[in-house]
Amino acid sequence: MKLGLSRACFYSSCSASIFSSSIPSLTTIKPKIPLFLRPPTYSVASSDLQKWHGWAKSLASSVGSSFVESDDGPDSTLLCRELNWLLEDSLENRSSSSCFSFAACNYDSLDGIENVMLRISLDDLYQLWKQRIEERRPFQYIVGCEHWRDLVLSVQEGVLIPRPETELIVDLVSDAVSNNEELGQGLWADVGTGSGAIAIGISKISRSYGRVIATDLSPVAVSVAMFNVQRYGLQHVTEVRQGYWFEPLKDVEGQLVGIVSNPPYIPSDNISGLQAEVGRHEPRLALDGGASGIDYLLHLCSGAAAMLKPGGFFAFETNGEKQCKFLVDYMQNDIAGSFCNLNIVSDFAGIQRFVTGFRQ
Amino acid sequence: MAVSAHSLLKSMLLLRLPITTNTIVPPRVSRPSSSPLNLISCHYLNASNRTKSRHFHSPTLYTRTAETPKKHLICFNYNTSASHGKGTNYLELTDDELMRQCEMDTFKASGPGGQHRNKRESAVRLKHLPTGIIAQAVEDRSQHMNRASALKRLRALLAIRVRNSLDIDSYSPPLELLQILPLKSTIRGSDCGPQIGPKNPKFILGMQALLDLIFAVDGSISEAGKLLGLSTGALSRLILSDDSLRMAVNDLRNSKGLKPLR
Repeated sequence: MKLGLSRACFYSSCSASIFSSSIPSLTTIKPKIPLFLRPPTYSVASSDLQKWHGWAKSLASSVGSSFVESDDGPDSTLLCRELNWLLEDSLENRSSSSCFSFAACNYDSLDGIENVMLRISLDDLYQLWKQRIEERRPFQYIVGCEHWRDLVLSVQEGVLIPRPETELIVDLVSDAVSNNEELGQGLWADVGTGSGAIAIGISKISRSYGRVIATDLSPVAVSVAMFNVQRYGLQHVTEVRQGYWFEPLKDVEGQLVGIVSNPPYIPSDNISGLQAEVGRHEPRLALDGGASGIDYLLHLCSGAAAMLKPGGFFAFETNGEKQCKFLVDYMQNDIAGSFCNLNIVSDFAGIQRFVTGFRQ
Repeated sequence: MAVSAHSLLKSMLLLRLPITTNTIVPPRVSRPSSSPLNLISCHYLNASNRTKSRHFHSPTLYTRTAETPKKHLICFNYNTSASHGKGTNYLELTDDELMRQCEMDTFKASGPGGQHRNKRESAVRLKHLPTGIIAQAVEDRSQHMNRASALKRLRALLAIRVRNSLDIDSYSPPLELLQILPLKSTIRGSDCGPQIGPKNPKFILGMQALLDLIFAVDGSISEAGKLLGLSTGALSRLILSDDSLRMAVNDLRNSKGLKPLR
């Protein structure tokens, strides 16, 4: 596997400075505030909101199953559910009952209420829903957040939207920590953290003793991850550093008790055929794993061997069975002696998704 | 609740629980003395044919079963030898223990998943293997939260569908049942604390015990009320305070030709 070469090609567009671990300009990137956290300053006539809702619903219905047929995208049922969530995030009163009355097209409960307070202007609501349907802009970028485990994480263009599958990594860490006290008290790393999802999830497990460092190459991801860490009040246990995989972690080499990652793992050839929400809108940097998709996973394996303490734990997400088996084989043969207790774990859809193990 | 108690009663299932081991004790089919129901068919869900241990953290062990869910009413005889192990009552299990008895399934599992998909289909379906009861949740925005909702729903379904037979002659209501009774109950001691309402998660345990009693007295509210130190009206009001409890009782009463409670 010619790691160095593919990495060089892939990042040839990046300036050299982006690899350094501290960039002063980073603080100038201000993350977008998710819709549900914005102040409800727009007073809108409820009849106008109903009109928008009716329009949005018929637009969603007009999609039918055409997106499903073209690229396995969302059908109109799912889009209508998203529409209700958009309303939920836009309305001042988030109570599901007020949204439900919209969802059920039962506007009676709003009779007598002339105006409702929104966190977004009506014009913008029209604009956003148009983008959702016509440009296939992901719903999570529209509302600026994703519900993941018990967290609500801020996301925006340039940051991978955390996936439901990845929720399991936190459970895998939780299991490992509950079986070994030492793991809960040490230093963890989430490399390629994106929105900071896994780092925050595992910080909450080991919050009283352990620490987590999250790294990402993308300055946007770093600022969004910092925003999320602060929103959960975890800045004392979770540190976000910018840089390429393990490079910002040189000072803690050999000291980590755990490494987790959901690196880009989609084979380059598959990128063009992805669901439009993913392929057209999510950062390629977070998806493209090189020709066979496994470039960064292999990089993580060799990095983990150097970074982990003996007995340290790792959990990596992969593209599926093929990559899982390849990685286990690689660790058992090519870099034999580095890791033990290797395990392949399936996601809830039954797809072999994660490789876990321990530093020998 | 898409459960017809009428059809459930027809396929009443009697089985004795395995206590501590994985081996399943062959079902001993018997008609509980207190139950007047005719046993029309007896199904036995043999869990040992499937993967032997299923932990939701280790879905590698997961195998999909094509079997359609059977909606049985499941009846357990209280087993005096059960005192050495948990197991007579699923509701006493912790979330983790209960989850280990379940097969979890996510919808739309086609395709490679992971980074390939922008999935808002965070829906979760739990199948409780020992009973075949299925609970699902789709309305939450994260899979994790849907799992918690599905588990909560499963507990309610277990309370409604799993019946423990009891001996009316020596009946004394368990504490969890006393706790959901109104304070005016004459058998409710002051040590039971305040009345637990339907919104409290502990209500489910009391609800299960109450249904056990009502089934044992063939749906007679006045008879059950006597055993609980309550007037018929007071017990009716308790039953009507929770939708699933009301439906379960009315389905039973309907099957007995009794008028539903309103």
